[in-house]
Amino acid sequence: MSLHLLKLGLKGTDDEPRFFPQPGELKSHYDVVIIGGGGHGLACAYYLARDHGIRNVAVLEQGYLGGGNTGRNTTIVRSNYLTPEGVRFYDASLRLFQDLSEDLDINLFYSTRGHYTLAHSDDAMRTMRWRAEVNRHQGVESHVVDRDYVTQAIPGLDPDCGGSQPVMGALYHAPGAVARHDAVAWGYGRAAAARGVELHQKTRVTGIQQSGGRVRGVTTDRGTIECDSVISMVAGSTPIITDMVGLPTPIEIFPLQACVTEPVKPFLNTIVVSGSLHLYLSQSSRGELVMGAAVDPFVLHSTRSTFGFVEGLADNIVDLMPFTSRLRVVRQWAGMSDLTPDFAPIMGTTPLSGFYLDAGWGTWGFKATPISGKTMAETVATGRNHELIEPFRYSRFRDFELVGEKGAASVGH
Amino acid sequence: MPFRCYEPRPGEWIDRSRKLRFQFEGHSYTAHPGDTISSALLANGVSLLGRSFKYHRPRGVVSMANHDVNALFETGDDTNIRGDITPVQDGMELHPVNARGGLRKDRDRYLDWFGRFMPVGFYYKAFHRPRSLFPFFERMIRERAGLGRVNMQWSARRRPKRYGHCDVMVVGGGPAGMSAVLEAAAQGLEVILADENPVLGGSLGYQWGGDADARQWLGQLLEEVDAHPRITVMTSSVVLGYYEDHWLPVATPDGIVKVRSRGVVVAAGLLEQPAVFRNNDRPGVMLVSGAQRLLERFGIMPCREAVVLAANPEAYAAARQLQEAGVRIRGIAICGESGSDSEHARALTRAGVPLWPATTIHEVHGRNSVSGVSLIGTDGGSSPVDRIDCDGVLVSTGWAPAAHLLYQAGGRLRYDDTLEMQVPSEWPETVVPAGRLNGAFTLQQQRDDAREAVRCLTAAMEGETGYRARSLFRDSVAHGAAWPVSRHPRGRNFVDLDEDLQLKDLEQAAREGFDNVELLKRYSTVGMGPSQGKHSNVNAIRVLARYMGQGMDATGTTTARPMYHPVRLEDLAGRRFRPRRLSPLHDRHQQLGAEFMEAGEWLRVAHYGGTREPEAAIADEVQAVRNALGVIDVSTLGKIEVFGPDAARLLEGSYTMRMGNLRSGMTRYGLIVDESGVIEDDGVVARLAEDHFYLSATSGHAAATYRMLRRHALEWGLDVHVVNRTGQMGAVNLAGPESRRVLESLVDTPLHEEAFPNLGVREARIGEARVRLLRVGFVGELAYEIHAPASVMGTIWDSLMAAGSESGIRPFGVEAQRILRLEKGHIIVGQDTDGLTTPFNTGMPWSVHLKKPFFRGRPALAHLKGRESQQLVGFALPADSPLPRECHLVIEDGEIAGRVTSVAASPILGHPIGLAMVDRALAERGDPLQIRIDEGRMVSAWRMTTPFYDPEGRRQFAGYPDSSEESHQ
Amino acid sequence: MKIIDCPVIGPRPAAEFTYGGAVGAPPVEDPTPDQLAEHVFYRAGAPGVLREWWYHRPTGRWFVLERNTATNDILRTVEPEEVAYAIPML
Repeated sequence: MSLHLLKLGLKGTDDEPRFFPQPGELKSHYDVVIIGGGGHGLACAYYLARDHGIRNVAVLEQGYLGGGNTGRNTTIVRSNYLTPEGVRFYDASLRLFQDLSEDLDINLFYSTRGHYTLAHSDDAMRTMRWRAEVNRHQGVESHVVDRDYVTQAIPGLDPDCGGSQPVMGALYHAPGAVARHDAVAWGYGRAAAARGVELHQKTRVTGIQQSGGRVRGVTTDRGTIECDSVISMVAGSTPIITDMVGLPTPIEIFPLQACVTEPVKPFLNTIVVSGSLHLYLSQSSRGELVMGAAVDPFVLHSTRSTFGFVEGLADNIVDLMPFTSRLRVVRQWAGMSDLTPDFAPIMGTTPLSGFYLDAGWGTWGFKATPISGKTMAETVATGRNHELIEPFRYSRFRDFELVGEKGAASVGH
Repeated sequence: MPFRCYEPRPGEWIDRSRKLRFQFEGHSYTAHPGDTISSALLANGVSLLGRSFKYHRPRGVVSMANHDVNALFETGDDTNIRGDITPVQDGMELHPVNARGGLRKDRDRYLDWFGRFMPVGFYYKAFHRPRSLFPFFERMIRERAGLGRVNMQWSARRRPKRYGHCDVMVVGGGPAGMSAVLEAAAQGLEVILADENPVLGGSLGYQWGGDADARQWLGQLLEEVDAHPRITVMTSSVVLGYYEDHWLPVATPDGIVKVRSRGVVVAAGLLEQPAVFRNNDRPGVMLVSGAQRLLERFGIMPCREAVVLAANPEAYAAARQLQEAGVRIRGIAICGESGSDSEHARALTRAGVPLWPATTIHEVHGRNSVSGVSLIGTDGGSSPVDRIDCDGVLVSTGWAPAAHLLYQAGGRLRYDDTLEMQVPSEWPETVVPAGRLNGAFTLQQQRDDAREAVRCLTAAMEGETGYRARSLFRDSVAHGAAWPVSRHPRGRNFVDLDEDLQLKDLEQAAREGFDNVELLKRYSTVGMGPSQGKHSNVNAIRVLARYMGQGMDATGTTTARPMYHPVRLEDLAGRRFRPRRLSPLHDRHQQLGAEFMEAGEWLRVAHYGGTREPEAAIADEVQAVRNALGVIDVSTLGKIEVFGPDAARLLEGSYTMRMGNLRSGMTRYGLIVDESGVIEDDGVVARLAEDHFYLSATSGHAAATYRMLRRHALEWGLDVHVVNRTGQMGAVNLAGPESRRVLESLVDTPLHEEAFPNLGVREARIGEARVRLLRVGFVGELAYEIHAPASVMGTIWDSLMAAGSESGIRPFGVEAQRILRLEKGHIIVGQDTDGLTTPFNTGMPWSVHLKKPFFRGRPALAHLKGRESQQLVGFALPADSPLPRECHLVIEDGEIAGRVTSVAASPILGHPIGLAMVDRALAERGDPLQIRIDEGRMVSAWRMTTPFYDPEGRRQFAGYPDSSEESHQ
Repeated sequence: MKIIDCPVIGPRPAAEFTYGGAVGAPPVEDPTPDQLAEHVFYRAGAPGVLREWWYHRPTGRWFVLERNTATNDILRTVEPEEVAYAIPML
C-alpha cells in the first residue's frame, strides 16, 4: 500500500487539492490561446509553461476536459510505424509516456503489454517485415513472428480464424502499451494549471481575428480575447476552425467507433490488432475487453453509434478468439477522427502567421499526445517547426511530399 | 429471511406443479420452472447472492429487473450471469463471481475494512512511484478487478439473425405499451411489441398486483393483444438500442432480430431508484418494486418484517399489498410527503402501521442480512423512533425513466419538479414516449397517454408535422424525493452499487474539480459498471447538483449509449458468413493436386505441388513455361466490357496511355492512376470494334476499376455502357513456345503471325464454345489468353490438356507466375508499388501520355514528372548468396535507402534476381545495393537492367520478326 | 442502419452502398501548385451540405446525393447532368 493512500486513509480526503482550479473570467489578452482541451491541448499548455516559460496561456474547450477523442479512444500506445519519420515521432512519444506518471505525479496506468499486429496474407506479412525492418533500424523493438509464436503468446487465439483468413504471423512490438486515457488529460491539465495556465471549459470559439497576415485574437461565446498565437488542437472539429481563418486542408471527418464488454478477470495480457479483420483489442485494468475497428465508411460529423459496427466486430473477434463469445458488450460509442490523405498528421506553422495547426490525427492521436504537446510548444515558442514534425508540415500537400505511412495501409490490403 | 409463500399468487410465473434441482456453491436446492436464479435462491432462504466489485461487501436482490449486478453467477458454460432475470435450469451448477473461497467466507471481504484507504480515484494517486513497482501493483489490481472468469475452451454458438418489419414498434409490454399496440393495430397498422420479461403486463403484473380491477384489465389486455392478427409479440426480448432510421435490434432467446419500423413507441417504463443511506446495500434492502416482483411473479415473501422508506404514493400501495400477503410492516419512514395522505396510507394507519413523518433511514444494521434500522429526521435531527428491528428494508423514493431509446433517437429529458423525476422534454416525431416514462402514472393516465402517443405518431408517419412535446396526461403529484440521501459520518451510503461508490466519493470527486457530470462520471466511474448507471446516474446528478448549488437540468445528464442491456458477442456475431469465389476450374485444380491460396475473396492456385516440396514443383512449372507449354487459370482477373459511341473517350480519360488510337483487333497495356498520380491498377485493353472494348483488371482491384469506369461515364457525361463480366467469364493463359502449335489444333481461326500478330485480339471458337483470344503474356513467352463463358471453361481446359499432352503441357500457379513475370521485370501493383508510387517511380514514363489534354491523374503527373525521389531498379545476386526477403531494407551509409519489393531465385538464369525501390540518387549512380537481410547480415547485389530474361522480347514472337509498333515496352 | 433512397430501386440499407466522396470540379489547365493541391487533396471538411457520389453495389449504379454531413440527413438526389463536365480529347 502506498504512503499516499495511507495518509488519505488516516487523515481523510478533505485536504486533497483540486485537479483544476475554479475557472474565472476570461482575460482580455493571452500570449497563446489553445483551442481544444483534450490531451494535445493540455499537454501543449503544460510544455509551453514548463519548458518555455510561456504561462499566459488559455486553453478553451467547448465541452469538458478530455471529452473529445482523448476520452473515446482505445488507449493504445505504440511506435511500430512504417516510415522513419513516423517511427521517430511516435517513439519519442512513447518514451515520454514511459516517464509521464512520475512527471505528472498521477498514475496513468501506463502498462507495457506487447502489441501484436496479426497478418492474414502474404501481402500483410510483407508489410509486417517492412515495418519491423524500419523499426529496428530506428532502434525500436519490433519483430516478425510466425504463426506458432502467435498461438503461444495469445492464449485462446484460433490461428485458423474459424476457417478463412488464417493467421500467418504477426508483427510483435514489445513496447506496445495501454494507458488510462482520461488521466493523461487530467494530469497534463493539472500540471499546466499549476503553472498558471487557465483552463476554460464550456467555452466555444466562434471566430478568429486576423489582420496584416497574422492572428490577432479569438472570439468566443464568452467574449473576445486578444492573443499573439492560436493553436488549433481540436481533432474532429479542425475543419470548423480552419474555415474561420480560410485555410484549406485535406482533412475529412469520419466517425470511429469502439465498444467494451462487461469486466471479467484478466485473460488477455497483450494488445491484439488485425488489419484484415478490422479489429483491435486489449483488456483494460478494470477487466473490460476494449475493442475497436476501422473508421466508418463515409464522412459524418457525429458521434452516433451504428449496430453494424458491433455486429462486424463481434463476427471477427468470435472467429479470432472463440471463447470470448460469452462476453457481453455493455456499451458502444464513437469519436470523430480527422483523416488526411497520407494517414499522417498536419502539424506546425501555417501560412497565417501566429496560427498553428495540430490536426489530421485520424486514429493515432492518443499515442501522440505527449510528443505533440512538446513539439507544438517548441514550435510556438520558436516560431519554427520542431524537427520531429517537419515531415508533417502543412505545406507538404502543395509540395507533393506526402508521408509514406499510407504505404502500410496500401500494401497491407 | 425471504421464503416462498404457501398460497400461489394469482399472476405468478412459476409452475408449482413441477420441480427442478440445481446447485449453488455445491449445495443442492430445488426450484420451479419460471424461477430465476435469484428467486430460486431466495425461495430456499439464501439471500446472500454476491460480493461487490471493490469492497467485496455482501449483496443480494435489489430490483429483480436486470440491474442486480451484484448477484452475478457463473456456470461451466457462461459467466457474469445475472441472477435476477436468468431462468434457473435443471441441473445448473452455479457459483458466485468475484468471491474467493465461497460467498460467506470470501477471502477478499477484508477489503471492506480498508475502504478508507481506497477513496475515489485512489488508483490515480498511488502505485506509480517507484515506476518499477507498478507492474506488481497492476497485476494485483487487475486480478482484483473484473468479475467472472472466462474459459478458453468455450466455443461460439453462432445463430442466424432474423429480420422484422412493421409499421410501429412498441417497446415495453406494460399497461401503456399494450394500450399502444392495441391502438395502433386498431388503426390497421402492423405492430411488434417487445418486452424484456417472459410475460407481458409490466407494472400491471406486480405494482398493481394487489388491485383486482387492475388484474382484470390486465387479463383483458393480454387477451386482446393475443387475439389481434396484426400484433406480433416478442417476450424475453431486449431492444438493444435505437439506431438511425428506426433500426431496432432485439436480443431474443433465439438470437438477434433486427427490426425496421416506421415509428416507435417507447413505453419502457421506469427504473426504480435506490435511496442513499448507510448500509443501503445489505441483502434484504431492496426497492419496493423489487419486493413486488418477488411476490407477484415468484410467490416469494421478500422478508417477514419490513420497514418502508416512502416518498411517493407507490410506497403505500406496496406496503398494503405486502401486508396483505403476510409481511409485517413495522413502520413507514416518510422522507417525501407525497402519498402520505392517500387512501392506502390511511388504511395502513388504521391497521396499526406507524407512519413516521419527516423521517429517513440513518443506518441499516446486520451484516449478511438485515437485523434492523436506525432512523433519523430528514433535517438531520431526531426521529420519532430510534431503532426498529426488521429483516427487510423496502425503498420507494423515486424513479428514472427507461428513456434510453428515446435519447438515442435524439430525444432529451428535463427534470420535472412536480413529479421529482426526469421526463422527456423533446423527441423526434416518429419516436414517441408513452406511459410512466412520460410521467403518466395512474392507469387511466397511462391508457390515455398511450393512445395519444399513437395518434401523434401515426399522424407524423402520414407526414403531418404538428409536432409538439406531448405531456397532457402527466401526473400532478410527486413520485419521488428531491433528496433521497442521508448522510452518515461513517459513510457506506452507496450511490452506485456496481462500482461501490459512496456519497462522499462523488462529493470528493467534485471537490477535486471533476465537477461537471461527464468528468464526475469518468473520474469516479459512477454509472460505468455493468448496469450502466441504471440505478445510479440520477442520484449522482442529484449529489453533484447539490454540491454545485445548481438545478438538476443545469447539472445535466450523461449519454445513454447502447446496449440497453449487455448482449453476448456470439449473438452479435450471428451466423458465420464468409463468401468465397471459386474459379470455374476449381474442381480440376483440386484433381491436379493444387495448393490454394486466398487472394481477396478468391481462392487461387499457388502451385500444383501436391505432396512435393513446393520449391521444386514451382521450379518445374517455370521450366515448363519457358521450354514447352504451361497453362494458368486467370479467371480471377477483372473482365469488363465497354460499349457505345463514347467508349474510346471513357478509356482515354481513365488510362494514362492513349486508347483512342488503338486499332480494332489489337490490345494495349493499360495503367490507371488516382488523382494524385499513384498507380491503382493495370491490365490489358482490347479493342474489338470502333465502339467496343474489352479490358482486364487485377483480381483484387476489379470491382474498384469497374466502379471507377461507371462513375467516369456519368461524371464526363458519356454515352457508354460498362458491364462487369468478371463472374460470367473464365480465362486461362496458355504460355510457352508450344502454345501456338497446340492452340492451332483447337481453334477455327488462323494463328500465324500475319493473321494474329502479337498483342492482337480475335474472336474464335474452340469446339462449340465461342472464345476471345488475346495474344498477351505476363510471363514473356509466346502466349494466348483464352476468355470464355464460365460454363465452357471446363471443356476448354480439358481440350487444352489433351491437345497439349504431347508437348508436355503443365498447369502452373501464381507462385511460378510471380517468378516468370519477375524474370521479365513486370511489376505487380500493390507489391512493387505502394500508396505513393507513380509510374515515374516504376520506370514507366512511357506509360504516361502527357500529350493527352486530359486523363485522370494527369495534372498531378504533369507536375511530378522528373521529381520522383525513388525509383524501382533491378538487381541480381550470386547463385550462392543468401536470399533477401521482400521488404528487406537497402542501406546506404547507415541510412535507409530503399527496400526490396520482389525477389526470387530465377531457375532460368540460375541466380537470384529482384526489384528494389531505392532513392533516386542511388538508382542513378548504378551502385550495387547493400541489402540488410535476416539477423542483420548484409548482402551486396549488383544492378541489372530489366527485363532480366530475354530483354529484346523475342520469345513472345517465337522466332517471327518483332512487330514493335504495338509493343508496350 | 441508415436507409439511403436509391433513385433507381428505392430505399436500401446503407451497407449496400460505397461512398464516393464529394463531387469534384474539373481540373483547371496548367494549375499552380496551390490549385493542384486544391484539386487533388483539399476538401470541404466542415459540417454542412455536400454533394456526394454514392454507389449502389448490387446494381452497379452511381448517383449524386445532397447530404447534410452533420445530421446525416439526405436532402435530395442530384441529376448527374448537374455535376457532369466534358473532358477534352486529343
